[in-house]
Amino acid sequence: MNFDLLFKKAKEKGIEDIQVYLGKSNQFDIEVFKGELEKYTIADSAKLSVKGIYDSKMGTVSTEIINDDTIDFILDSIIASAKTIDSEDEVFIYAGDKEYKEVEGLLNPELEQVSAKQKIEDTLELEKKVLAKDERIKMVQAFYGQSQGNVLIQNSKGLQLEKESNNAIYGVYVIASDGKDQRTAIEYKQTNDYSDFDFEYLATKGAEKAVALLGAGPCESGDYEILLQNNASTALLGPHLSMFSAESVQKDVSLLKGKVGEEIANPMITIVDDPFMPKSPKSGAFDDEGVATKYKELVKDGKLTGYLHNLKTAKKDNVKPTGNGFGRIAPTNFYIKPGELSYDDAVKSMKKGVIITDLAGTHSGTNPISGDFSLQASGFLVVDGEITEPVALITIAGNYLELLKDVTGVCDDLKFGFSFTGSPSLRIKNLVVSGK
Amino acid sequence: MLEKKLIKKVLDAALTTNADFAEVFIEDKFQTMASLLSSKIEKVNNAKVFGVGVRVARGYHTVYGYTNSSTEEDLVKLASDLAQSFPGEPLGITFELEEMKVGNLHTIKRYPSDVSIDEKVALLKRADKAAREYSDEIKQVSASYQDYVQKVWVANSEGTFVQDTRVRTRLGINSVAANDITKQSGWYGPGGHYGFEFYDEQISVEEAAQEASRIAVTMLHADECPSGKMPVVIDNGFGGVIFHEAVGHSLEATSVAKGASVFTGKKGTKIASELVSAVDDGTIPNAWGSAEYDDEGNKQIKRQLIKDGMLTSYMVDKINSRRMDDEPTNSGRRESYKFAPTSRMTNTYIENGESTFDEIIAATDYGLYAKKMGGGSVNPATGDFNFAVGEGYMIRDGKIAEPVRGATLVGTGAEALLKVDMVGNNLLRAQGMCGSSSGSIPTDVGQPTIRVSEITVGGRKGAN
Repeated sequence: MNFDLLFKKAKEKGIEDIQVYLGKSNQFDIEVFKGELEKYTIADSAKLSVKGIYDSKMGTVSTEIINDDTIDFILDSIIASAKTIDSEDEVFIYAGDKEYKEVEGLLNPELEQVSAKQKIEDTLELEKKVLAKDERIKMVQAFYGQSQGNVLIQNSKGLQLEKESNNAIYGVYVIASDGKDQRTAIEYKQTNDYSDFDFEYLATKGAEKAVALLGAGPCESGDYEILLQNNASTALLGPHLSMFSAESVQKDVSLLKGKVGEEIANPMITIVDDPFMPKSPKSGAFDDEGVATKYKELVKDGKLTGYLHNLKTAKKDNVKPTGNGFGRIAPTNFYIKPGELSYDDAVKSMKKGVIITDLAGTHSGTNPISGDFSLQASGFLVVDGEITEPVALITIAGNYLELLKDVTGVCDDLKFGFSFTGSPSLRIKNLVVSGK
Repeated sequence: MLEKKLIKKVLDAALTTNADFAEVFIEDKFQTMASLLSSKIEKVNNAKVFGVGVRVARGYHTVYGYTNSSTEEDLVKLASDLAQSFPGEPLGITFELEEMKVGNLHTIKRYPSDVSIDEKVALLKRADKAAREYSDEIKQVSASYQDYVQKVWVANSEGTFVQDTRVRTRLGINSVAANDITKQSGWYGPGGHYGFEFYDEQISVEEAAQEASRIAVTMLHADECPSGKMPVVIDNGFGGVIFHEAVGHSLEATSVAKGASVFTGKKGTKIASELVSAVDDGTIPNAWGSAEYDDEGNKQIKRQLIKDGMLTSYMVDKINSRRMDDEPTNSGRRESYKFAPTSRMTNTYIENGESTFDEIIAATDYGLYAKKMGGGSVNPATGDFNFAVGEGYMIRDGKIAEPVRGATLVGTGAEALLKVDMVGNNLLRAQGMCGSSSGSIPTDVGQPTIRVSEITVGGRKGAN
């Protein structure tokens, strides 16, 4: 599409300022099952999102049909949308920042140079490795996924920004059975550096996780000291991200409203939003509004230092935007900073506790407005520092802010989830466990 | 829309190697969304979606590709690239695409394109007003409106050539009630395979908004739920999410075919209490999960999944039917052209029994009454499920007692099904979005009020 023509026609129709966001992606996925390639996906797609200011309101539209014939549709939709909006919030098309950081390693060309054939062979090999680990492993699904994205932002104020990134994932979904009980596990690694993939490690971890929970059942109900394993802690952090959004704060649906400068977590807790983390597709020098991103510690030594902002919320609070305007306000690479406690020492330190390795239903069993959660969990019972039995079909219940205050140890094993939210394992004073 | 001749060329290009099946899926969708916050219209967005998905298979091995392009060059290249995954001689499959069949089973009276955006956002204003007027304790209301017209064309190397149009609309209201101690929210989101007439003929916008506020206010004054094993009465409507999550997903061929489901190999055996019969019905006129054709170009049907406790049918798509050697049940669905189809639910519910609601409550000395369910999830391999109770009450001495919040139900589907000991006669369906490997799709869940003799309830209050 000819953007100059789009901008020119927009002016003619009375649209004061206009911005296009063109996102393109290439996708390549492999799934193998029982020694054969089972699924194979190749895709390329593009989406153009356009926003424009008409009569001081922001109209928006998106289209996957991208050619000059859709220009009139785009502009008419923006005007119709803007006319309907009656929110008084000030809206912006951004002229840009003075400086944008050079973020390295977003695009790794070597990823494309490894042949599709090699990737299929590696995925098959990965499946084989997992199956060989333990005879109780009944089924493995090994998969590889790769995506390359290109983002272009251009607006009528002269801003033009471009970003290219790629990312790949290898993973295994494992089902183990001992004839009576069946358990599952998932293990994966994301990076854009093919040499980071350690198939032996993935296979060992995936297999160990799946068989470890065989024969698990509920433990006795009661209050237990908890070791929330890194994966589980990450899963619990995810649904609570919205409380760091200035939009939630301004809507009065954030638990953190009015708490800047206050201690909201144990002083051992520091929470980071890092847009410059290497090898992550969430990294980048600018957000979707064209604002320069920055590294920030939203919680420093337990104290809340601020919120995540886009242009609109920053203006309302009279602060600088933080570069988190991604459609809604969203973090980039968001994680709880690792501490120094080793995971093994944390286990040994518990008298009567439960290690939570997995949480299920985190989208429905949490309430980010109140912080209350009640979630299905599985893991291991610990007595006097020793793991005594696997547990499953229990629930843990509590309040997320109380949990952050009740942290008694932060481990050194930071791990990231699918969406680049991460956490180390956390030792928690206690939670209500419901089981037998 | 692509010409029949071009579609045929793409299918032929996909069969130039050793593949035995090829399919083209074309999607043209127009969607409008609007949202309200703090009594103001915040955002209105139109979106045009267009893409083509090509699937090529040999046996139960499939390759899939998609693109936004509609040119012959790009599409034939995509099909040829995909075909390279099945090296070998072509099987010599010849076919002609049949006369295009057009779906028109679900009557639409007012197409979204014939309704002004002002009329659409007026619904949000009405919902906001009604939700706030319900109580002074309602401090925030957000509401969203969406409608779309999704046109799909499916053509395959067996000659199938089908066009289906899905027109859907939904209103969602979220009310937040607050006092000095806490904040609680209530949500209600009715929708259907309807045009704009839905809001005049099928639902009352004001009643929907009041329902969201009623839940929020009730939960504001609720006590923490106790934990432990107890009988649970799950109400009709969205209560059916327990069946959807704990049983429905494990009856989808996606997990059954690979032996990854607890119900693999159980057809013809008793898997539930004899009080339980259940169906998945994609033909219900204008229901949220209905369509005339599935996303593989086959007519939607009604499937009897469980009859008097016996497993009678799985939900099976085309490719998985090859793997598990079972008849397809036309259950292939997908969110969009970006997903290859797989077996999915449509409108899934437990059928009516004979007890009345009052009889079920009166027969329960102590337990939890789950009036509104929240969402949940299940692991199909183990059957382990969890779901949140959006609005709950304790039952004491056969009567509904104090409201409780923060409850989560956990268990396994297989066990819970066998423990259903009362089934009501008040079947009701409710709308949800269901996420799985072929994306997020609209589905109805449903059931009459049922009682499960024992489920583990997790709550913050601890054991009684």
